[in-house]
Amino acid sequence: MHLAHLRLRNFRNYTRLDADWSPGFHVLAGANAQGKTNLLEAIYLLATLRSFRGIGGAQMIQQGQAGYFVGARIVGVEQHDARIYWSVSRRELTLDRHPVRRIADYLGVLRAVVFCSEDSQLVKGSGRIRRRFLDLILTQTRPDYLAWLQRYHAALRARNAILKGREIDPDALAGFSAELVRAGQPLMEARASLTPRLAEVARSAYERMAGGGGESLAATYEPNVRGDLAVALAQSRARDQAYRQTMAGPHRDELQLALDGRPAAQYGSEGQKRTVALALKAAQAEYLTLHHGAPPVLLIDDVMGELDRQRRGGFIPLLEQVRQARGQVFMTCTEENWPRDLGTDLVRWTVTAGSLNPS
Amino acid sequence: MDRYRISTWPPPLLDLINELGMLPGIGPRSAERLALFLAQSPAADVERLAESIRTARRGIQSCATCGALSDRQPCSLCQDPRRDLGILCVVEQPVDVLNIEKTAAFRGRYHVLGGRISPTRGVGPEDLRIPELERRLQDQPNLELIVALGSDVEGDATAIYLARRLAGRCARITRLAHGLPVGSSLEFADELTLRQAIENRRPLQ
Repeated sequence: MHLAHLRLRNFRNYTRLDADWSPGFHVLAGANAQGKTNLLEAIYLLATLRSFRGIGGAQMIQQGQAGYFVGARIVGVEQHDARIYWSVSRRELTLDRHPVRRIADYLGVLRAVVFCSEDSQLVKGSGRIRRRFLDLILTQTRPDYLAWLQRYHAALRARNAILKGREIDPDALAGFSAELVRAGQPLMEARASLTPRLAEVARSAYERMAGGGGESLAATYEPNVRGDLAVALAQSRARDQAYRQTMAGPHRDELQLALDGRPAAQYGSEGQKRTVALALKAAQAEYLTLHHGAPPVLLIDDVMGELDRQRRGGFIPLLEQVRQARGQVFMTCTEENWPRDLGTDLVRWTVTAGSLNPS
Repeated sequence: MDRYRISTWPPPLLDLINELGMLPGIGPRSAERLALFLAQSPAADVERLAESIRTARRGIQSCATCGALSDRQPCSLCQDPRRDLGILCVVEQPVDVLNIEKTAAFRGRYHVLGGRISPTRGVGPEDLRIPELERRLQDQPNLELIVALGSDVEGDATAIYLARRLAGRCARITRLAHGLPVGSSLEFADELTLRQAIENRRPLQ
C-alpha cells in the first residue's frame, strides 16, 4: 500500500501542495520549522482522521484561513481517492467521491504507523495512552472493534451519568450495565488475544534495537476485570456509587511493560524507555504487515537522529520488509542527522517554508 | 451582499423567515424561499394554509391511553374493536406507530413512551410514559409486551429497564429481532448487524 498523490490546501504552513510519491523510502530534509512534520501529520490524518500531535482540527488550519483540505490517491489492492475538508462550521470526508457515513467504512483505506517523540508517552504516560495504542491496532485489524468501542463508551458515559445523579434508579443502572457488559466483553477478548502476539514481535524488536545481552521486554495485558464483566460490575456497585463513576471494566485496562520483569516506566533509563516505545511501534507495524499481508506506510519523525547506530540498526529489518513489499516510508531529518547508514536508494526531498522540492 | 439584502426586506417578511426557519429540516435558504413564495402567493391560498395549520394544531392531541397522535380521545387505534387486546407494542415516538402500522403485520395496540432513557441528556425513566403503561398492565394482567425500541445503547438499555420493571406484570415480554435488512445483500450490512444475524440465525424448514 502506498500514497501515490498528496494534495494540501491551507494545511498548517502549506498553502498549496501537490506531490506525487512512488513506493520506497522518502527522506524529507530541511531546517527546523519548515513543515517536515506537517507532511507526516497530513498523511497520518488521512490514515486515522486524527493528528498524532494530539490536537484538534482547528489547529491544523493555516493561519487566517477558514478551513483545510487534505486529499490523496492511495494505491493498494484497490485504488482510492480520499478527501478531507475541515473547517469550524463544515466537515467533509469523502472516499472515491462519496461522503463517508460511518468512520468504520473509511478506516483501513490507508494504514500508517508513526514514530515520533510523543511515543515515549507510551511508556511514561497514563494507561489511557497504552489502551489507545491497543485500540488503534485493533481497529486496524478487526472490522467490528470500533463499533464495540464506540458502543462501550456510549454505555459508559450513560452509566456514569446515572451514578452522578442524585437518586440512582437500580433498574436503569442495570439496563446500562447490561449494555456495558455486552460491548465490553468483546473488547476484553480482542485485547487479550492481541497482546501476546504483539508482545512477541515487540520483544524481538527490542532485542534487535538494544543488542544481544540486553534486557528483555515483556508486554502483558492486565485486564481490570478478570473473568465475567457482569459479575465484576455487580461486585463493584458500592464502590461505583461511592466514587460516582464506573470503577471496573476495560476502560481501566492496562498494558504492562516490563524490562527483565521490572516496570519499564519506573526502572528504565531514558534511553531504555525510548527504545521500548520504538519497539512497540515497530511491533505495531510488523503486526499490521503480518495481518494484512502488506506493510503500513511508515512515518518516521526525526526519531532516527536521536538513536545510536545499534538502535538504528534495529530498524533495518522492518525497513527492509517494507522495501521488499513495495511499501512506503516517509522520514524527516535535518542535514546533521541525515541517515546515510539506512541504505542507498533513498528519494530525497527538501522542505522549505511550506514547499517541497526534489533534491 | 446577503446582509444588505436581508436588512432591506420588510420586517413582516423577516418575521416569517425566522418562523419558518424554526421548522425541522428548514435551513435559512429554504426559509427564505418559502417566505418569498408565500408572500407572493394569492391571499386566499395562504389563508387556507394558515387555517389548516391552525386546525391541525387545535385538533391533534396525544391519545391519553396510548400516547399516539389523534384527533379524538381515545384514538381510533385504541377504540378499534378489531385490534388484538392481548398484545401491546411499546414504541418511542408517535411516528413509530405509523411506521409499524404501514407494515400491517401487527394487529395489537400501542404504547408510546415519548422517548427513551438517556442519562447524558438528563432523560430518566420518570420522564417517560411508564406509569401510564403500568396502569394499562394493571387493567389487563395477561398482556404480551413487544418492546420495539431502537437498537442503540439507549434503546437497548431502556428495553432492559422495562423488562426488569415490568417483570411479572405481563404474560410475556419480547423485543424486536436484529438482523439483515430484507432484500439487501450481505455487503451492505454493518459488522455488528451481521454478527447479530449470525448469532440469531434460524433453521431452514
